[in-house]
Amino acid sequence: MPLVNNKVGDDCTLSTDKTLADGKTLVDSLIKVVACYRNLASCVGGCTDSLQLRDDLRQTREKAQKLAVSTCQHLTSHLRDKSLPQEQRRELELLWVAFSSSLELLHVDMCKVFSMGDIFCLANTTALVQTGLQGGGSEVAARALSLPDLNQAQTPADGLENQERSAMEKEISQIDHMIDDMEMKVNVLRWMVEPHGPQYAEPLSSTDSASLALLTVDEEQPGHQPLCQRSRIFVFLLLFAVVLVAATLSVCVVFFS
Amino acid sequence: MTVIFVLVLFSYSQIAFCAALIFQSVSKATCWHGDLCPLPAHHTQLISPYVPYMQAEKVLLEMQDPKKGVKSQPQRLVITTIPHAITGKHKHKHTHTNTLLNSCSGFLSSEARSFGSMLVALGYIYPLQDHKRLVIKPDASLYRFQTPYFWPTQQWPVEDTDYAIYLAKRNIRKKGILELHEQEQYNRLHKWMNHKWDFIVMQAKEQYRAAKERKKPDRVVFDCQERAYWVVHRPPPGTVSAMDYGLDRRVDPNANEVTVGLQTLLFAEMKRLFSSNMIRSDMIFHFSCRLVKYCATYNSHDPFLSKCLPSNPWLTDDVTYWTLNMPNVEIPTKMRVERWTFSFGELLSDPRGRDDFRLFLKKEFSGENLAFWEGCEDLKWGTAVTMREKAEQIYKTFLARGAPRWINIDGKTMEITVSGLRHPHRYVLDAAQTHIYMLMKKVSKHTRRFVKDKLPHDALNDLEQNARNRRPSLSPIILRQQELEQRAKMAASAPVDITQLCRFTTPVSHLAVYSGFTDSPSANASPSLPFVAPTPVCPSPISVALDSNSASERRAEAGEGEAERNPEARAPAGGNVLKSRMALSLRRLLKRGCSPSTMFASLSPKGQAAAGTSRIQPLCPDQPSQAPPRRTGNFFQIKVDIPPECRIYPIESEDEEEENRASSRGGVGAKEIICPWESLTPQNGTG
Repeated sequence: MPLVNNKVGDDCTLSTDKTLADGKTLVDSLIKVVACYRNLASCVGGCTDSLQLRDDLRQTREKAQKLAVSTCQHLTSHLRDKSLPQEQRRELELLWVAFSSSLELLHVDMCKVFSMGDIFCLANTTALVQTGLQGGGSEVAARALSLPDLNQAQTPADGLENQERSAMEKEISQIDHMIDDMEMKVNVLRWMVEPHGPQYAEPLSSTDSASLALLTVDEEQPGHQPLCQRSRIFVFLLLFAVVLVAATLSVCVVFFS
Repeated sequence: MTVIFVLVLFSYSQIAFCAALIFQSVSKATCWHGDLCPLPAHHTQLISPYVPYMQAEKVLLEMQDPKKGVKSQPQRLVITTIPHAITGKHKHKHTHTNTLLNSCSGFLSSEARSFGSMLVALGYIYPLQDHKRLVIKPDASLYRFQTPYFWPTQQWPVEDTDYAIYLAKRNIRKKGILELHEQEQYNRLHKWMNHKWDFIVMQAKEQYRAAKERKKPDRVVFDCQERAYWVVHRPPPGTVSAMDYGLDRRVDPNANEVTVGLQTLLFAEMKRLFSSNMIRSDMIFHFSCRLVKYCATYNSHDPFLSKCLPSNPWLTDDVTYWTLNMPNVEIPTKMRVERWTFSFGELLSDPRGRDDFRLFLKKEFSGENLAFWEGCEDLKWGTAVTMREKAEQIYKTFLARGAPRWINIDGKTMEITVSGLRHPHRYVLDAAQTHIYMLMKKVSKHTRRFVKDKLPHDALNDLEQNARNRRPSLSPIILRQQELEQRAKMAASAPVDITQLCRFTTPVSHLAVYSGFTDSPSANASPSLPFVAPTPVCPSPISVALDSNSASERRAEAGEGEAERNPEARAPAGGNVLKSRMALSLRRLLKRGCSPSTMFASLSPKGQAAAGTSRIQPLCPDQPSQAPPRRTGNFFQIKVDIPPECRIYPIESEDEEEENRASSRGGVGAKEIICPWESLTPQNGTG
């Protein structure tokens, strides 16, 4: 899915609007990448855990890092600008809050992946938990990396795990420092920030009814499951019998008329 | 033959390999609690009590083994099948036949079932069909392993932000799907995390979109996993949650298998105090000394920290301990008495101790102190409706001049109290109560024999005796009734302390005597009481003030023939009157040497009745029949109502003469104790 560039006021010549738009874009992309990273991270240690998954995680993480650094710079520089008008400042503070929350989520996810990666060594696949997943996370990684085609993803590097581990540690501490620095440099009063959006998010699309159906079936009483199957077979048999009877009747009609 | 041999060898090597793997995973699993993930420094280091995470994880990893582990089957849904579903039966079989882990060996099927339930309750395995009930059923219902990302560990606390995102996601999928408690939580989170709400909604949308990238079966699995995770960590109201472990602790209970001792707890607490930057170090030292002292003192008395004799009723269902420690037991146990020695507050708070102390004070003729203290407590803790009456009652009984059970408090306190009583509130008697409390404390400290009397028996004798006297225990209702009856009895037949009675009968002129008089008989009886000593020498300022007041008044209205007039005070004038009177009274006192027996002998029922009548006389101050009108200058007005036959003169003849004179002169009109605030209204603006 290509990156949707929802810039507000493209034709607007005011730099502050552009600032806002840029900031919003950056934060939106970061949120998207964090969501994808979380989706991938929940597979670690499961039966679909593989080098490919770890590599996807690494790439997603790097992308998130890049985005985070640039967003941090953008927002910090603009929020420290004293000459910012009040409405712009409010908007930027809103973005700031969103940015710091996504950084925290990313930090937690990275820590979890780090410790789980230690425990669930890929060398033996028998210890991986059978979670019921079947597919890999390549589509999700593609979404995160904003690549239209899966083939453009890099081949999994045969990097040493130790190197990976140390890189991860470094990145975790980097995020940590970024969070601390943010708090030091810019003082955003969180209780003054007011969100724009509604309390309830609107349902995105109705094409998801299929998976919904799966889950609603799931929530049925357990006793019904075998009964349903039995009743379905019975219905099929009945249908078949009726069809057979109709066929013989029609044959008889044709035969005798 | 060789083939079989080879196969056996191969299986042994497999077993060894698996054991090595599990050992490795176990040693890695311990890293879950280490500092692997560099958390920011501001995370607090509280430790949750013991939850068997590590053991559960061990077994769980063990179960994944395709050969030795639990067999899984595919779950059939409407349009697809999802693998890796296990049934309860298989799980039981697995834990029963497992021989690799010592903890699992020898499991009976009921243990296996409880272990399985624990795994489900903690969230390592989630049920597929009845997802809200986290139990394992031994039938063909299906379960699945939870992905390690959602495993419960102590390291990563469950965040409300994540919960909000999850609820928002569910709402996105289908509006109105949230249950009532989820709806309430959602609204609450919206209120408390309002500043993040845009982020939450956006993140929910993105996560939803990211999940849509996956294939359908995987999406179902994801949704089930997440749902199961939140059922464990945010259970619906009314369900028992395995995550509900109580309070966080300072000391890690997983650290050592031995039960954590008192010392460890103390050290941990002191370490925490010292590392906190908010308190000064000298205060910390002070606190820690007090804490150590408190813990050392109460260590043997705490049933959690030391064994409780004869046995803890909660553990052995044997109620001997409670029957031995009932409030109205005849012989208190040794531990209980030892506890009374810790502090005076302990003595008073234990009803049995208080009874004993009451008896002791009665012997020492200072029972009014305890009665006053109890009255104050009653006022403090009673209902607001009864406060006014109680305050008046207490004033009339204990504080007023000529009250039947007058307590000995200093003048300043008395002033404060009486002025406060004008607008009585719950804590109006606090100052006086504290004064009396300190007095009683000193008494109890100085007379060790009070407690020593109680400590001779050893616990065993007590136990045996009480065992012999064992009756079925009384219900709390009956106990409460007994208490109330006792209190009523005491209130009705309040021992009018002989000292007060004397004062009550003699006119006001002997006021100076009263302050000393209270204590002198007790001084004679037990010279060891220290608080007795000073008062005969310097009477309470209040009485002095009153005397000067009354003296001046009498001087002013010499010719009016008031009953309160002191005939002696008429003749001399000025402050010398006071001193000479006091000296006179004192001399008389010391000469007298009243013995308790005479006083008691003279305590006639009539005297009691008089006291009674005076106390229960209604608080209608203005009786037009009163001969002596009220004077503006007098803050206190005491009218003594003494029918002639009730007059008791346990004193020498000279006094008798004076009193006779006084009574003949005055002796009319109903005299009653009037609370000052009541009397202020008819008077024109007294002080």
